[in-house]
Amino acid sequence: MRFFDCNVGFGQPPNAAATVLRTAEELVRELDFCGVAEALVHHTAIRHESAQAGNCLVVDETADHARLHPTWAILPPQTHEFGTVHEFLADMRRHGVGALRAYPAEHRYLLNGLTFGSLFEELVPRRIPLMVGPHWAALTQLLADFPDLTVIIVGHGDWGDDRYFRPLVARYPRLHLDTSNYQTPDGIADFVGQYGHERLVYGSGFPPFQMGGALLTLARADISDEGKEAIAGENLRRLLREADP
Amino acid sequence: MTNSSPIAQDFLTRGRCETCPVVDMHGHYGPFRGIYFPSPYADGMLRAMDRAGVARVVCSSHTSLVDPERGNREMAQVIRDHPDRFLGYRAVNPNYPDQVEAEIARFPHDAGFVGFKFHPSGNCYPLTGDNYLPALEYAHQQRLIVLSHTWGASQYDSPEMLGEVAPKYPDATFIMGHSGYGEWDAAFGVARDNPNVYLDLTAAYKVAGIIERICREVGSQKALFGTDLPWFDPYYCIGCICFSHITDDERRNILHRTADRLLAPFLTGSQPPEGKQERRGSD
Ligand SMILES: [Zn+2]
Repeated sequence: MRFFDCNVGFGQPPNAAATVLRTAEELVRELDFCGVAEALVHHTAIRHESAQAGNCLVVDETADHARLHPTWAILPPQTHEFGTVHEFLADMRRHGVGALRAYPAEHRYLLNGLTFGSLFEELVPRRIPLMVGPHWAALTQLLADFPDLTVIIVGHGDWGDDRYFRPLVARYPRLHLDTSNYQTPDGIADFVGQYGHERLVYGSGFPPFQMGGALLTLARADISDEGKEAIAGENLRRLLREADP
Repeated sequence: MTNSSPIAQDFLTRGRCETCPVVDMHGHYGPFRGIYFPSPYADGMLRAMDRAGVARVVCSSHTSLVDPERGNREMAQVIRDHPDRFLGYRAVNPNYPDQVEAEIARFPHDAGFVGFKFHPSGNCYPLTGDNYLPALEYAHQQRLIVLSHTWGASQYDSPEMLGEVAPKYPDATFIMGHSGYGEWDAAFGVARDNPNVYLDLTAAYKVAGIIERICREVGSQKALFGTDLPWFDPYYCIGCICFSHITDDERRNILHRTADRLLAPFLTGSQPPEGKQERRGSD
């Protein structure tokens, strides 16, 4: 299987952690240990320091690693911290950034049309994936406002969140989910049985999640080999091919 | 893949490792209020176990955490139906002391229970509270296992609270559910300091680097595989163990060796300790 992890990071967190990979080299070694071919990457500064620092660091530090694809955080266009929407999109193109991430809690904003309408109206036709954590109420409103936005919900789980996300998956065909914390026994097979294998993308959530949990869960899921390859990497490769900043 | 572990290779390519069975020391049973389980009952749990080579699971039914009489009865039936695969923890609810006594009285009469399940957070009652004392004393007398939910900084079941209780009942075996999630230093200290305390990896396995820390700071012989099944896919926990930076010897300790040793007194064919016949499983 050609694993493409949609959800990994590197960089020093502010507090003590059991695993800290400071550099992109260390992350590549861990990907090699687990047999993962490539990854969509963020720098942990994006969450703990600032969106500005994280967006700069991830581009600088992945430049020498063709297997690592940088992702950026969004901020409300009204504060102009990344210039205008069109300047932001041009910067994405220049730096090879193919996907965005939203951190409404850490960056303290409301993820809705009022705040992000001018950006999301540009993301929809460009099919740029937006990765968001399991903020169910915000996501439900966001998708109602932008039903064609390409969204990847990352890190859902712990208490199997199917009751939240299945109504959204059924309604919005551009909605995808990562598998980093989808630990429900038979969860992947049950989901694929209902919605097909196109809507899930492999992610590990590393760090803080261990890399091997989601990996073995997908590798041994009770679905077809074709479905596994799609979730392991092909779905994400397709999404990134379609994206055009 | 540069991970050269034969155990990891086996799980990845075959789905199980014939030389390394798995024993799950922390399971549940049945539906639960806040979560969708595709497979909450014995047939689905057994399917997940068979695929991953999980030989046995030791469970408390979700119902038993609320209503022990009804839930333990349900669990006893599952054990009777599948005596080679399911063992049980008899849950007690400390908010109803008369029911605690009743569960202790029933203990010898149901086969396959290896001890008690405490969920102090779930019952909003402290692990150190008096209403747990009869079950603790019985577990000590009968050399039973007590699996208690623990969580970092909890006012009901922090690692320190288990550290206060465990030394008073040295003949009972304590499993610290979730390894005191988040309060790792305290939990590892309690496991190191008390020969009768073990760390359950359920949910904790997910935190990158924790398995390595346990092996280094406490010892792999003190860590137990657990999944909260039907909550979490056995492969997720196995994957975390397989892709931790530890040795295969440590993987074997976690996946089954320590559990085999703890469960041996409760299984058919092993010699029951003197006068402890009534506590054995009947499978
Ligand atoms: Zn539990």
